[in-house]
Amino acid sequence: MKLMHTRLPDFYDKLKAAVRRGRPEAEVAITGMENVKTAKLASLRVGRIENSIYQLTKEDPGIEKVEISIHPHHPETAHTVLIKGIQKDGSCKKAIMETVYVSTPGVDCRLAGVDEVIDNRAQLPLDDPR
Amino acid sequence: MAKLKYRLIPEGAAQGMVPINLVFIDKKDIDECGILMVEACRIIAKELNEPAAIDVMDMDAITVTSDGILADGAVVAFASADYGVVNREFGFLGVSEMPYSRKLLDEEPHMKQWDANYRGKRLYRGSYGDDMRPRDPLNERQTITGRIANNNTGSEMMNVVDMTEILTPMYGILAVMRDGEVLIGHSGPVISVGIGMVVRERAGRIFGWGYGAGQTAHASGDYAKTIKSDCWALCGTKEDLAEYTIRALEIGMIPGRHIACSPANLCLAHAMGLPIDLDGIFANAWEELESIGITRADLEKPCDKPMSREEAIAHAAEIIPGIEDGKRFKVSDICQIRYAEC
Repeated sequence: MKLMHTRLPDFYDKLKAAVRRGRPEAEVAITGMENVKTAKLASLRVGRIENSIYQLTKEDPGIEKVEISIHPHHPETAHTVLIKGIQKDGSCKKAIMETVYVSTPGVDCRLAGVDEVIDNRAQLPLDDPR
Repeated sequence: MAKLKYRLIPEGAAQGMVPINLVFIDKKDIDECGILMVEACRIIAKELNEPAAIDVMDMDAITVTSDGILADGAVVAFASADYGVVNREFGFLGVSEMPYSRKLLDEEPHMKQWDANYRGKRLYRGSYGDDMRPRDPLNERQTITGRIANNNTGSEMMNVVDMTEILTPMYGILAVMRDGEVLIGHSGPVISVGIGMVVRERAGRIFGWGYGAGQTAHASGDYAKTIKSDCWALCGTKEDLAEYTIRALEIGMIPGRHIACSPANLCLAHAMGLPIDLDGIFANAWEELESIGITRADLEKPCDKPMSREEAIAHAAEIIPGIEDGKRFKVSDICQIRYAEC
């Protein structure tokens, strides 16, 4: 079971179903993966997310909308930039790859004003405090 | 309850030229409070409750500028603050001391300055090794909390939402800590080109081993002059820059061979009639220098009347190019001294 992975379309379906389970009428907004068209997601983590959605919604009958946004864990991300020249027939003779670093707003921006935050994310090893 | 002293240059200071809250803390003041540096940053983040970049300075230590010049003072930790917090994982970075070794001095020719001018002083350059956890090797030396990214070991502070930015070169920070004078303006093409002309260092403050004296890390030809040209920069005065650069030139550091072929190093050496390794400067570095009007032909012409140290410092503003629409400010006019309860 540990090695199972969930298809991307199933991931979206599962998140929406988890919201409906706790709050059938609630609106759902999922953002952050718009550029990812195909993927497999670690099933154990998907299951945890489904549980968290259900826990959040069942505890609070006042919830009318559930926002689920997916962010890089580290807001400074290194990306491969792929540059391809496409011929008339759709073929590509040459491609060049570059790296670009992107610094995006930290998740703190999304958490401002939230009363309680439960952090169930995988813990990263930090340097000793100094 | 102890009070932690810190310096704040607020957003909008210096006639609107400072786009981000800049906080500077003296490590000694943190030690007097008996707290950790990260705790100090968190205390100030909470009290300020606004986006801010934070640098912790050790004024008894030394560092290396991107020009390859050793200077007093060092960033020993830096942080990003927003919404009253410092992000637990990515909001803070410490800088480990760089131990003295013969190997370091042999490998890195500019480090001869350590023996000659700063013997016995503790050296801090950039975060390295375990400092960087949990970042991976492709990350820059950068902290992020909320809207604020504090990059290149506390010298490039950005708001990644409104996308404003200010550079804080070491002499600017030094002036803030010493209550001196700063020069603030747009970086312009000269600084844009100059900050890419670096020295080769193991775990440097900004760059690593990739590019040595005489080379350009930007390697982007005519575009190099645009890279940071629209950013604000909070610099030391050109007299301060000249003073530190001349200390290096006087012990035989040669631009293009031991120290960077940056516009400041080249122009000062030429004005004083001191050697420049013109052949050691790579073709792509010449291309960038020529794009801002510094040509090999001009530097090959002997200086009519080589200036003394005193003359070069007195005329530093004319000799050293860079900073557009710059204005000088007394630090006391733009910087607030504040105290946070800890």
